[in-house]
Amino acid sequence: MNKYKYKRIFIILWIIILIMILMGIFFLWPPDSKHENIQLVMRDGVLHEHNKMSFFGLLVNPAVISAYMVTALLLLSALLIRIFAIPRFTMVPGKFQNILELTVTFFTDMASANSPHRPRFIGAYIFSAGIYLFFGTLFELLGVPWLTTNQLSFSLPAPVSDINAAIAMGILSYSIILGAGIIHGGVKGCLGVLKDFSLPISMSFRLFGSLLSGLLVTELVYYYVSLSFVLPVIVGVMFTLIHALVQAYVLATLVSIFYGEAAEPKSSKKT
Amino acid sequence: MPLNIDFLQVLLHLFNFILLAGGLTLLLFNPITKFLAAREEHFALLAKQNEEASSKNQRLRAEYEQLLEDAREKIAKQKTDSEKEWAQISAGYIKEAKEKAALLLQEAELEAEARKGAILSAAQTELSELVVSAAGKLLSDTVTADRNIELYDEFIRLAEDTLVRERTKYDKK
Repeated sequence: MNKYKYKRIFIILWIIILIMILMGIFFLWPPDSKHENIQLVMRDGVLHEHNKMSFFGLLVNPAVISAYMVTALLLLSALLIRIFAIPRFTMVPGKFQNILELTVTFFTDMASANSPHRPRFIGAYIFSAGIYLFFGTLFELLGVPWLTTNQLSFSLPAPVSDINAAIAMGILSYSIILGAGIIHGGVKGCLGVLKDFSLPISMSFRLFGSLLSGLLVTELVYYYVSLSFVLPVIVGVMFTLIHALVQAYVLATLVSIFYGEAAEPKSSKKT
Repeated sequence: MPLNIDFLQVLLHLFNFILLAGGLTLLLFNPITKFLAAREEHFALLAKQNEEASSKNQRLRAEYEQLLEDAREKIAKQKTDSEKEWAQISAGYIKEAKEKAALLLQEAELEAEARKGAILSAAQTELSELVVSAAGKLLSDTVTADRNIELYDEFIRLAEDTLVRERTKYDKK
C-alpha cells in the first residue's frame, strides 16, 4: 500500500471518531431548563394548562387556533378547487382530478357499504371529518409558531390532540347517529341508539388518545437536542402520517357503521 | 373540569368543524359527487348504446347467417335439381341414341340381307350361266373321259373363285 492510501484511511478514521464524540456530546447535553422541563412539556401536551393562547381576547388551548387555521386553509383550498379545478373536470380524469375523485369515492363507497339506506348525508359527513382529521393531523408537521400568553413561542399542535376537539367530534358524531335513529326509526330507533350512550365517550377518548400518543412521542423527541437530528423527520412523519391516515379512516368507518345501523329501516317481525 | 375540559372550547371546536363540514360539502363533496354521477350516467348511456348496437349487430349477423344458410340450401337444392334434370336429359339422349343405333343396325342388317340375297342371286345367275356355258362347251367339244373330269374340275374351281370374290365384295361393303 502506498503512502496516499494510508493518509486517506487515517483521515476517514479521524473524521468518524470526531463525529462519534460529537454525537456523544449531543446525546449527553443537558436539556434547556430555562423555561420548561420535560415533565411540564408532557403535562402541557396533554392538558394545555399553561400554554394558553388568545383567540379574539379569549384564552384558549393552542388546538383551537390550529383548528381554525386548518379550517381556513381547507376552505380556501376548497374554494380555489371549486373555482379553478372542478369546472375543468374532464371525462377522462387527470392526476389532480383523479386524486379528488378517489378521495370522494373512498368516502362515498364507505358510506354506501356501511349505511346502504342513507349514504348521502353520512358520506358528506365522513368526507368532511376524514379530511379535517387527516389534514389537521398533518398540520402538526408544519410546526407553525405561535406566541402563548406567556410570550413563549409555541408550535401549533394537531387540532384533535386537544381533548376538547376530540369531545366535540365525538359529540357531533353521536348526535348525527342519534338524529339518524330518531328520523329513521322513531322512538324505537332513538332507544336503540341511546343504549350506545358510551359511544361519544369512547369515540372522543380513542381519538384523543391516539392523536395524543403521537404528539407526546414527537414532543419527547423534539425536547432533547441530541435526538433532534434526523430522528424527528422519521418519527414526526411516521407518527403523524400514519396517525392522520388511521384516525381519518377509523373515525369515518365507526361513524358510518353506527349511522348505518341507526338509519336501517326497522321491520316489525311477527313470528 | 378534569383533563382541562372546557365546554366553551368544545363549542368553539364544534362551530369550527360544522363550518368546515358545510363548506367542504358545498364546495367539494356535492360538485364532485354530482360530476361523478353525471359521468356514471354518461357512461351508462354509452354502455346502453353499445349494448343496443351490439345486440343489433348480433341480430343482423344472425339474419345474415340465416340468409347465407338459405342461399346455401337453395344452391344445394338447385344443384340437386340440375343434376337430376341433367341425368334425365342425358338418359333421354342415351335412350334416343340407343334407339337410333338399334334402328340403324336393323336397317343395316336388312340392307345387308338384301344385298346378300342380291349377291347370292347374282352368283346363282352367274353360276347358271357358267353351267350353261360349260354344258355348251361340253356338248360342242368331243368329250373324252379325261376331258370330262378336267371340265368338271374347272367348273368347280371357277364356281369356288366366283363365290370367294362375291363374298369378299360383300364383306367390304
